[in-house]
Amino acid sequence: MKKYLSVFKISFQQEFAYRVNFIMWRIRNVLQLFLVFFLWDTVFSGQDKVIFGYDKARILTYVFGLLIIRAFVLSARAVDVAGEVANGDLSNYLIKPVSYFKYWLTRDLSSKALNLIFAAFETAVLFIILKPPFFIQTNIISLTGFFVSTALAMFIYFTILFISSAIPFWIPEVAWGAQFLTTAIFIEFLSGAVFPLDILPQVFQNILNLTPFPYMIFFPLEVYLGKIAGLDLLKGVVISFIWAIILWIGMNSLWKKGLKVYQSQGR
Amino acid sequence: MDKTIIVDHLVKNFEITKREKGLISGISTLFSPQKKIVRALKGISFSIEQGELVGFIGPNGAGKTTTLKILSGLLFPTEGFTQVMGFDPWERNPEFLKQISLVMGQKNQLWWDLPAIETFELNKAIYEIPEKKYKDSLQELVSLLEVENLLNIQVRRLSLGQRMRLELVASLLHQPKVMFLDEPTIGLDIIAQKKIRDFMSDFNRKNGATILLTSHNMDDVSQLAKRVIVIDKGQILFDGKIAELVNSFAKNKMIKIYFSKEIDIKKLESIGKIKKIDMPEVTLSVPRETSTLAAAELLQNYPIADLNIEEEPIEDVIRRVFKGELKAKK
Repeated sequence: MKKYLSVFKISFQQEFAYRVNFIMWRIRNVLQLFLVFFLWDTVFSGQDKVIFGYDKARILTYVFGLLIIRAFVLSARAVDVAGEVANGDLSNYLIKPVSYFKYWLTRDLSSKALNLIFAAFETAVLFIILKPPFFIQTNIISLTGFFVSTALAMFIYFTILFISSAIPFWIPEVAWGAQFLTTAIFIEFLSGAVFPLDILPQVFQNILNLTPFPYMIFFPLEVYLGKIAGLDLLKGVVISFIWAIILWIGMNSLWKKGLKVYQSQGR
Repeated sequence: MDKTIIVDHLVKNFEITKREKGLISGISTLFSPQKKIVRALKGISFSIEQGELVGFIGPNGAGKTTTLKILSGLLFPTEGFTQVMGFDPWERNPEFLKQISLVMGQKNQLWWDLPAIETFELNKAIYEIPEKKYKDSLQELVSLLEVENLLNIQVRRLSLGQRMRLELVASLLHQPKVMFLDEPTIGLDIIAQKKIRDFMSDFNRKNGATILLTSHNMDDVSQLAKRVIVIDKGQILFDGKIAELVNSFAKNKMIKIYFSKEIDIKKLESIGKIKKIDMPEVTLSVPRETSTLAAAELLQNYPIADLNIEEEPIEDVIRRVFKGELKAKK
């Protein structure tokens, strides 16, 4: 797919177009890491405390992992899609022999690749300076589970984003609101991006585990930490895989309907 | 002859939500939206042959852009039949998309933060243009539109006219067989307009491309199109040679008179409307049907050296088209 390789390339260049902006963003990331580190380092200082089943190494790894996974899963260029549907920029792609979905998926992957390079570098620097007691997972099954579930997480988030981006086909003026509702409210809270979900009552957790949300952040992280393994790991991967398929089908049929009422506005 | 574009009884309705001004009514529409059907196209039919350059004209909101969008597969037609090069546009078959181009004067595809050449390279990949064809095509377009020096400048730093020419390059790199141009010269200065016009006429001749063009620019229409389709309120009022447009729609004729002696000009007003006075020359506008009568009367009662009856200038007719003043003839 040479087409999408070119999309990947140009997207990469686009990221560098605002250099100062880019540098500031990376600095913010590093500062955030320091802040979080010192906060939890203080909370767990002294004795071998265990809170909610997390010891110091694990909570630090959870929090760091959170920052990194967030940067991958929840950072998506495709947040612009709703705006493009509402203001008619979508037309630019529809008249070309290119799949709009694959186009944005590629742009996302390109943005994520860039993120990965810098995040790896920053984490390395941090490691050298702070020498934190990180929990390094060595179990090959857990690591594989982690990578598989992270890939599924990205796909799930991406399809949810595309589904909410289809709302402006019918109500063009809610472009921003629709995004906000899905990303900020549902995903932030229900995915474990704000707090580890296992501090919630068991009943909630059981219900939540049937929705796609925990599989976006919480599940991959817990798999890495080794807190979810064996049969639970398999069950989680199967559930998120099923969700990925359901969302993919839902997204396709929604977009098919949406394009029929698309008005290609803004002239 | 090959019919490249066929449109038959095409209907397009839009459902829009009515809005009223003011906060209270704004909130009430939020809860009980008032839907309204707008009939943008009311069953239009026409066909275009390969290599034709057709001007699509009419006042704002007549349905021109809607037609172009349906023909390029952006909008789903409510009723009727459309076919472009044997394809149903709505299916958006990649083979179809590779052969068409839609240029909208107010939409841009160039990547704002990057030099235009990057967008060209991207389009090369998207349209799967072979290296050699891409180089030739780029070379040709760049020299025709005189944009050699602009390729490596960040798009955001360019003027509108420069950008528009680069937009055209981006839209035509794949050498489309059918081009839909929607107001391609809008907002440009006269020199840039002329460059684009010259280019389109060249492109049409050299590549045998079929071009359907909408414009509010008189010169675009009168200099480029041999055939025009006049559309208003979703209906076709006229479809034919631009010369015949005058015959069909001109209500008046112009009588140009050279007087041999000074006369009282005010008296002429009883015969027709005075358009221009440049003594000894006077131009009168008179109703078509009575133009010969008026001429006879003039010759009888005034000292006249010469007299000509002329058609209303084409520009005047087209201007009336843009204003929506034309009515369909019985």
